Amino acid sequence: MSVSKLYGGWAEYILRINLTNKKIVKQPLTKELAFNFLGGRGINSKILFDEVPVGTDPFSPENRLIFGVGPLNGTLSPAAGRYTVSAKSPLTGILGDANCGGHWAAELKYAGYGNIVFQGKAEDPVYLWIDDEHVELRNAKHLWGLTTWEVEKEIINEIGNPNIKVVSIGPAGENLVRFACVITELGRAAGRTGMGAVMGSKKLKAIAVHGSKGVKIARPKDLEKATLESYDTLMTDLFYRLYADYGTPGLLTLYNEYGANTAYNSREAWVEWFEEVSGETFIAKYSVKHKACFSCPFHCDKFYRVESGPYACYGDSCEFETITAFGTRCGNKNLASICKGSTLADNLGMDTISAGAVIGWAMECYEKGIITKEDTDGLELTWGNPDAILETIKKIAYREGFGNILAEGVRRASEKIGKGSEEFAVHIKGMETPAVDPRAVSGYGALGYAVASRGGDHLRALAASSYMMAPELAEKLFGSKSAADRFAAEGQGRCVKFHEDMRAVADSLEMCKYITRTALLFPEPLAKILAAVTGWDLRPEELVMIGERINNIERAFNVREGITRKDDTQPKRLLKEPIPRGPSKGHYCAEWLDQMLDEYYENREWDIKTGLPTKKKLEKLGLKYVANELEKMGKLPKSSIEKRK
Amino acid sequence: MKKVLVPDPMLCTGCRSCEMACSLVKEGECNPRTSRIRIISFKHDGIDLPILCYHCSLPPCKEACPVDGAIAIDPDIGVLKVNEELCIGCGKCVEACPFGAITLHPNRGKAIKCDLCDGTPKCIEFCTTKAIRYLDPEQIAMQKRMKHASSITKPILTSKLYKLEV
Repeated sequence: MSVSKLYGGWAEYILRINLTNKKIVKQPLTKELAFNFLGGRGINSKILFDEVPVGTDPFSPENRLIFGVGPLNGTLSPAAGRYTVSAKSPLTGILGDANCGGHWAAELKYAGYGNIVFQGKAEDPVYLWIDDEHVELRNAKHLWGLTTWEVEKEIINEIGNPNIKVVSIGPAGENLVRFACVITELGRAAGRTGMGAVMGSKKLKAIAVHGSKGVKIARPKDLEKATLESYDTLMTDLFYRLYADYGTPGLLTLYNEYGANTAYNSREAWVEWFEEVSGETFIAKYSVKHKACFSCPFHCDKFYRVESGPYACYGDSCEFETITAFGTRCGNKNLASICKGSTLADNLGMDTISAGAVIGWAMECYEKGIITKEDTDGLELTWGNPDAILETIKKIAYREGFGNILAEGVRRASEKIGKGSEEFAVHIKGMETPAVDPRAVSGYGALGYAVASRGGDHLRALAASSYMMAPELAEKLFGSKSAADRFAAEGQGRCVKFHEDMRAVADSLEMCKYITRTALLFPEPLAKILAAVTGWDLRPEELVMIGERINNIERAFNVREGITRKDDTQPKRLLKEPIPRGPSKGHYCAEWLDQMLDEYYENREWDIKTGLPTKKKLEKLGLKYVANELEKMGKLPKSSIEKRK
Repeated sequence: MKKVLVPDPMLCTGCRSCEMACSLVKEGECNPRTSRIRIISFKHDGIDLPILCYHCSLPPCKEACPVDGAIAIDPDIGVLKVNEELCIGCGKCVEACPFGAITLHPNRGKAIKCDLCDGTPKCIEFCTTKAIRYLDPEQIAMQKRMKHASSITKPILTSKLYKLEV
């Protein structure tokens, strides 16, 4: 029986689509699944563990591609507009997923579905059309090759309803660029780990949804109250004005002042010319209007337009990560060209973080003479050359010439090019690290990125507290004042664990991590909102435990693929090369990483020596079957856990 | 005295919290289809605009309604209301309204529209950018007069002539 018969919030069905034989099955979304994994990322990760065996080729029909929404989507709950798409990642070879805002997630809920699980592979391109109960695979041969913006328009025309919501891939996904993403509504991207490429490998061009059913709310009055309370918390939060007025680009000034802004392929972490590309400049010159994802009071999204010149363009949301990726990371001071790069990447459907990182790496190769004009099809890949950056983005999407190598991501590209270029290939477990330089933020970056279950990523932990919490509060929560000191190790392991669990909860409720970043950080308000929507009263500790369960099953997935403590590290440059200039001068990850890892594993109750999850912990979280499977494979720690010295 | 909801497309972010609040308070569920206020978005222009009932003094929906009293103006606050018990669900009102502000309930089949929550509209409580305001038309006109007046006087105030005279 579906959980929706007894509780509010959740959708009725999990939709299963076999693209090989075109079979479509609706399964009830059970209470057991909902109560143990909530929804979205949690349920996706559980299905991945259960159904994608070790060694599965990410591009094979056996890989699953799972879209998931959670109990809060499509309700008044603040910022519950997100969905998670998961699969085994072609970029990293471990668990992959990406989270995206906009209005598609709510629409899927209104159609009555919590998750869509794709398996198999279509012979010819198809797209999925969902109109409430009606679910249909439609021919997409005529749509193959179109950009994400074009395909959305085409499908809306074809269906004849401007209200439908579409997620799609662009040429990058079709061409199996390993960091291709899934796009909805111009600029909203499920960016990381190459989910667009998995979609492309299955010949699935898009998913169009129209829903007309309401979401049942267990306690409407409580939801009104809890939502208004959360607005009060949000609007008095330190970061509210930054996000509301400047969007994520506002972070650039902040992180540059910290000396934590990735620049010149992570050679630098601070630039004197940051004002040329800062959020303040972006807002003054190119932002047209504040926009928001579904039910979000934060409106960090900015519609932008570059009116004229060679980089004339418009788009939705040119994020901080994108500005760093195509800007400081590549030494590019031309903000208009960065906006153009954002529009281009959205149209072609690729992750701007990985794209910018791989281009930055290529620029360093070019500077060092490891590659020359002959290798780059004549492009002058000198630092800060905007036209070369834009041209390379296109080449990557279509896998043209040199772009074909870069489309493999920085790990594979550097293995191919060799000649010492691996030394400055900045990735963790195969995924390019994001904008904030981890050498300048011990917990948030050095540890957070190293242990993230999808490779070099900041959003798994997003431990903003680890550099900005009041030391007294940090001591109370994480046992040490230095848990809020960005150049210290003590307490950061506990801090990151706590944040990872809360982020897993937010990702599974499918609430945005920006409102839960600092404002709704703690489980209490989330439990309150969840109870109002669903009618399920659970204690805040139980909610945290669900977060733990999700992190543990994700760890188990990765451990099964061979991940251990030795992989929970930083790339050589970030580990050992001190930041040369700026406010974080002299710092590097190896200063703190080992100590933080020890503390982190100890608090996770995993084996400190190997980083493997323990049987005891998995069983405590109700994951006995996971423990059994790992045991059979010899992937549980041999001896009992050693205590930290 | 009649007050109406006035949307501002430059302030609306398209988050649709108003739709959620409206359907929640009116139907006990969250569903844009049963919300009396709806957001129209032109994605490629970055435009979002709340569409809702203006509570016309000569309402085309009421004129078109074949049932006496199914759509009526509540004299106290000038609200145009549907009496669902009398409504036969013919949809004539939907055809007549030039703004798309009235529709039929997807399950009940009866006409639904904004009733200003009897003078305390729920949607504005949840509009954090104040893109919807609840105003007397005279207030709106006065705001426009002020804006118009300042645009006319600005060139005078900044001109050299004016300064000389002073």
